[in-house]
Amino acid sequence: MAKREFDVIGSTVTRKDAPKKVKGEHEFADDLQFPMMLHGRIKRSDIAHSRILSIDTSKAQALPGVKAVLIGSETPIKYGIVPQMPTEYAIAHEKVRFHGEPVAAVAAVDPETAERALDLIEVVYEPLPVYTTPEEAMAEGAVKIHEDNKFPGNIAYEADQDFGDVEKAFADSHYVLEKTFKTSYVNHAFMEPHCAVSKFDTNGELFIWSTTQVPHYLHRHLSKVLQMEMDRIHVKVTGVGGAFGGKGEVSNNELISALLARKAGRPVKVLYSRREVFLQHRGRHPIQMRVKVGVDKEGMITAIDYDGTMDGGSYGGWGLVILFYTAAMLHLPYDVKNVRFRARRIFTNKPTCGAMRGLGGVQPRFALESLLDQIAIDLGMNPYDLKKKNAIGLKHETVSGQVVRHCEFRKCLDQATELSGYREKHGKLPFGKGIGLAGGYYISGTAYTLYMAYKPHSSALIRVDTEGGVTVYCGATDIGQGSDTVLGMMAAEKFGLPFETIHVVSGDTSLAPFDLGSFASRVTVAAGSAVCKAADNIIDKLLPVAAVQLGVRAEQLEAKRGMIRSVFEPGKEIAFWDVVSKYIDAHGPLTATGDYTPPRRTGKFKGANIGHSPTYGFSAQVTEVDVDLETGEVRVLRVTEAGDCGQPINPVSVEGQVEGSIMMGLGQALYEEVKVGRDGRLMNPSLHDYKIPTMADLPELNTTFVESYDPDSPYGAKEAGEGPIQPVIPAIFNAVYDAIGVRFTEMPITPERVLRALDEKKRQEGGTC
Amino acid sequence: MHGQSFAYQRPGSLREFEALYASHGDNAKILAGGTDLLVLIKERLLAPRLLLDISDLPELKGIAYDPAAGLTIGAGVKVAEIERSALVKEHAPALAFAASNLGSNQVRWMATMAGNVCHASPAAETPPVLLAHGCELLIGSQAGERRLPIAEFFLAYRKTALKPGEYLKGFRLPPLAADAAVAYRLRGLRRAMEIDMINLGVYLRLEADGATAAEVRLAMGSVGPISYRAAATEEKLKGMTVDEAFLAAAAAGVAAEAAPIDDVRASADYRNRVVGVLARRGLTHCLEQIGSRRNKA
Repeated sequence: MAKREFDVIGSTVTRKDAPKKVKGEHEFADDLQFPMMLHGRIKRSDIAHSRILSIDTSKAQALPGVKAVLIGSETPIKYGIVPQMPTEYAIAHEKVRFHGEPVAAVAAVDPETAERALDLIEVVYEPLPVYTTPEEAMAEGAVKIHEDNKFPGNIAYEADQDFGDVEKAFADSHYVLEKTFKTSYVNHAFMEPHCAVSKFDTNGELFIWSTTQVPHYLHRHLSKVLQMEMDRIHVKVTGVGGAFGGKGEVSNNELISALLARKAGRPVKVLYSRREVFLQHRGRHPIQMRVKVGVDKEGMITAIDYDGTMDGGSYGGWGLVILFYTAAMLHLPYDVKNVRFRARRIFTNKPTCGAMRGLGGVQPRFALESLLDQIAIDLGMNPYDLKKKNAIGLKHETVSGQVVRHCEFRKCLDQATELSGYREKHGKLPFGKGIGLAGGYYISGTAYTLYMAYKPHSSALIRVDTEGGVTVYCGATDIGQGSDTVLGMMAAEKFGLPFETIHVVSGDTSLAPFDLGSFASRVTVAAGSAVCKAADNIIDKLLPVAAVQLGVRAEQLEAKRGMIRSVFEPGKEIAFWDVVSKYIDAHGPLTATGDYTPPRRTGKFKGANIGHSPTYGFSAQVTEVDVDLETGEVRVLRVTEAGDCGQPINPVSVEGQVEGSIMMGLGQALYEEVKVGRDGRLMNPSLHDYKIPTMADLPELNTTFVESYDPDSPYGAKEAGEGPIQPVIPAIFNAVYDAIGVRFTEMPITPERVLRALDEKKRQEGGTC
Repeated sequence: MHGQSFAYQRPGSLREFEALYASHGDNAKILAGGTDLLVLIKERLLAPRLLLDISDLPELKGIAYDPAAGLTIGAGVKVAEIERSALVKEHAPALAFAASNLGSNQVRWMATMAGNVCHASPAAETPPVLLAHGCELLIGSQAGERRLPIAEFFLAYRKTALKPGEYLKGFRLPPLAADAAVAYRLRGLRRAMEIDMINLGVYLRLEADGATAAEVRLAMGSVGPISYRAAATEEKLKGMTVDEAFLAAAAAGVAAEAAPIDDVRASADYRNRVVGVLARRGLTHCLEQIGSRRNKA
């Protein structure tokens, strides 16, 4: 592949938000203050499943300083991020489905008064049985958590997909391994709690500032729940202090702030406490998976059989989509010809699960990479060899019809194992020390919107003028991942201008053209394509002007280093801004738009729309652990990552995504778990008791990229934010197996579980002597 | 969450503080760093009428060392100061280590060790080391000052020997003999910002022969309602030769004297098992310290 020369792409420019964040200047939703602004607080149920018989708010309304009180009967319109299956209310209506669900809200002159008012609201409940596990919720005779649910047994949705002939493939297999895996109930633990401020102007138009990943979906939901036309609603994304999917659907506080603001006639801010963040949840689905993998004599995968039960919590959320993503994730990054998928998502009386970094992939990846590791060991092969043999090549189409246009996964496997010495170390380290390998991949965007629409998924407008400079307007949302930086860098490269001079206006439904939002690792490819097209359209307007000035043909010109210059004749050039000035003198304002629509692919089976992506990112990780045989502590010493994210636009940003992914996965593998009492109450809804890894737990990280460039992507880029979390957990589990010979199938690997497993192993080995 | 409102006063001298504290009795609470107190108030577990802020009282500041009296630490000293103090690192390195494991860096710059001790949580970071050091507490009141061995300070879960009007004024750690050392070992799920599943302070003094245990203290945290010493084990180890049997007896002894419960952080079984591991590792560390000092001498 020819070496590509860029001035901005691939360099580590300083993000414009970085110094502002360091100095506390970056504006988050809770920083906003308006004259007459009220503070909203939410009364939450102290029961997990019940009918609401009555609510008396009279005492709260009488409390001085209280300006509005709201209950569920005033918000009877159901919504959901999957619009075909709405299940939620802004405030619980007639029924409570989890402990801590909103049952009323108050707006008052200060937070203290609002909280006092909550204590004065009296709710009479008629308790119903509480189901905190799918087994309980699915049991014969269980009460329906959602009365209008068409499925029996509190099944929210079920799915089955069949490709090839799984039974025959197993029958013909040389070796078949089946295990049951269980993943944990984890929260994103982003730093900034949800916060929204709503304000109606005198003309009745709503302005809402919120920390969200999906301004567009918030816009739609507000229109539905408040029964307002979308053009009278203006959504403005503030600084977002982390999201990871947790702000990827509409949150109750957003709707409540708008409803309270309308009722009180004053601006209302609703900020969550950390406990409320855990109640809003939308974290990763716990899944119990029975997974079976067959291989032939050479170790080539013959078939995968998957049966999974997802604990969805109380509402729908992204659940339906995630269910089908789990199905799609069985097909890559290995070449698999026969696949059977059976799964169901179950309603339980717990905070709702939803989208969390790498959704749909993390759980099946854990099972599959664990099984492949074990199969290789059982066959006497090095796990690297087995994975390399099965890895897909540069281009691939899965039996489910997913088209991979560009893949360097084999390079990832080679690079991670070479840099870490995996092949020499695996199986040869002293007892207690281990090394593990896992691979993974993720989508770079989706093929479809959540509702039927044909409009482009991303669009951008670029305005270039002699006074305001270059401004890129794009609805993409910077949630801290750095999309403003990436989009600005792409425009800078196109125009041959320094990154620092490019302004990006994003995350605002009134100012910026349409974009779906920040999820599914779609922004760099989708919004990046839109921005690149808009920039190309600007250049197409400028080059003819420059061509006349220089007396050369326009197609021989390029914008580079502040000039528009001839590709062939050095010195034949004119300053970019002189051309802009002449263009505007002659033609008026210089603007252009660009847009992006992903290829639409589907198949003839249920859920066939889900899993397709314009392109995919890949990675492989090798993890080294040290297990304390006396205390059971698992210490992750070192992680070597080799990633195929195409061309890294900003390498330091990509490293940040990779390293953040590793720490997030490490937390789920070893520490994190939201604990739920029998009555549905959360036992550890604080960052004091919910243990995310700290800097002291940080392993040595060797983050590398493989040589890669997707020619059909903007500047060759692919996703980097969700792929790298896929191998983290199984690589740790595989390393623990290598260290102590125990195959854990349930997370987290706590010290207690390690000691129990070592005892059990000793008993078994003693028994055979 | 917001607690009940309270009055706030910042006395300008220790005398003024003692008078105010004596006159307000149970209605007043002492504010030093506030890292525990304000959380309890916000969670409405406490509703004091008055907070007396002692954080700037000069009489309560300072870390000093005297070869005869040992290490003295004022009640107003921040945990981060203890963590970084050259005197503490030299004369009580295990205490500096324990201090470095308390909460987060931000908390350590606010919190005081006196607050950590008076909060009397069985999982607290500093009491086991202080118990191992045989620390003496200086207890003040308007009536005067008294001294109390820290082993007599913790009466029950979050209950201390402080009487009405009394406050913790400072700590005195006796000088360590040349043949003695203190170690601290802890286990949390992660490696920082933890409430320990279990922690343990160890003191070991050897006879002149360098091979016989003259005195052992084993102070355990998170294995009962208070931090406490494994007295029977300490007695048993006294006079034993410090060999593998000694370490095994120590490990078995603390496990027998620990009375842990199952809670959200760890099971009783796990604590029983690991407290012995920590005792063994703590004693081994003490032996290494004493050994390296002897080699230098």
